[in-house]
Amino acid sequence: MGYSVCLFMNSMEQETRELARGLRRRDPDLLDELIARYHYRLLRYLWALTGNHEAAEDLFQETWVRVLERGHQYSPRWKFENWLFAIARNLSIDMLRRRQPGSLDELLSPADTRAPRELPDPDSLTPFESAAAGEQAGHMRALLQRLPAEAREVLVLRFQEDLNLDEIAAIVEAPLSTVKSRLYRGLEGLRNLLKEKEV
Amino acid sequence: MNPQEHDRARRLIDAWHVEGIQAQEREWLNAHLAECAECRTQALTNERALQLLRSNTVRIDPALVSITQARVRLRARELRENQVRMRALWISCALSWVLGVASAPLVWRAFQWVGLHAALPNLIWKTAFALWWLLPGGAAAVLLAWQRRHALNQDGYTTPPR
Repeated sequence: MGYSVCLFMNSMEQETRELARGLRRRDPDLLDELIARYHYRLLRYLWALTGNHEAAEDLFQETWVRVLERGHQYSPRWKFENWLFAIARNLSIDMLRRRQPGSLDELLSPADTRAPRELPDPDSLTPFESAAAGEQAGHMRALLQRLPAEAREVLVLRFQEDLNLDEIAAIVEAPLSTVKSRLYRGLEGLRNLLKEKEV
Repeated sequence: MNPQEHDRARRLIDAWHVEGIQAQEREWLNAHLAECAECRTQALTNERALQLLRSNTVRIDPALVSITQARVRLRARELRENQVRMRALWISCALSWVLGVASAPLVWRAFQWVGLHAALPNLIWKTAFALWWLLPGGAAAVLLAWQRRHALNQDGYTTPPR
């Protein structure tokens, strides 16, 4: 058991070291692979952050360009996705601030009205499950939209991305206690909205 | 059951998901939930909310990934070309510095000669000599500093996460 854990950790370390080397070299093939691997999670996070489809797509592209440009700053000590989310978050704040100065929440524009095309998480579903997932997603999106951006963001990082509290604190650049209180508030808000909807 | 027990149970229901709870607390909570319908409803609502959140999907334009990959490749090429240009610039700077150092005694004599023949005070031709050396380097330093400042202003996130 211990030996296999050790082997796993070693291969993880080796992988992040290779990733760091590739990013320093600005290897386009590596970037292609990373975009393909993380596109869904990044877009989902950006959507949760901005609440706006077009803005999320613009930021998605910007984030990957910045990953290329700032690849030499990536250290193998960090999980790549945490670094990616931190870049995406800072870019989002910069972009939204440029568009409309104010707090993150005030910056959010209403959800767009473009007809959505739902794609399930990479593990493919049956057509029936896809339809059901699409309906549920619309339901959840509407609920999430009504939560403050800060709470929405940490909820997504904790319960969709399964990050631990320290990782979330590093990404959102906030103390652990703030992250916890945002999570508690977010969870309570989500629960209340769900109850309200059911009533 | 007293109200404090319900409060504790509600706090633990949320804490379970947010930061995890001790085995002892979980045992106590399970026993409480078995008896209290109101707290059980809260626990089930939490479960349902999180289940919905986890199953949430986002809209993805199928072309987005390929467009992004193409944009990143294009930017990578631009950066490579820029790097080659910068390398050429640094090499020419280094060469110019070496030539400058090598020719310094000759330039000094030239300024001295002009100073003598034009009957200029020593301070004038020595200052002219210093400016001859300092101005190009100063201009280049200002230009590089401006470029760096401009690049930093474009993104303020150069510090990655811990």
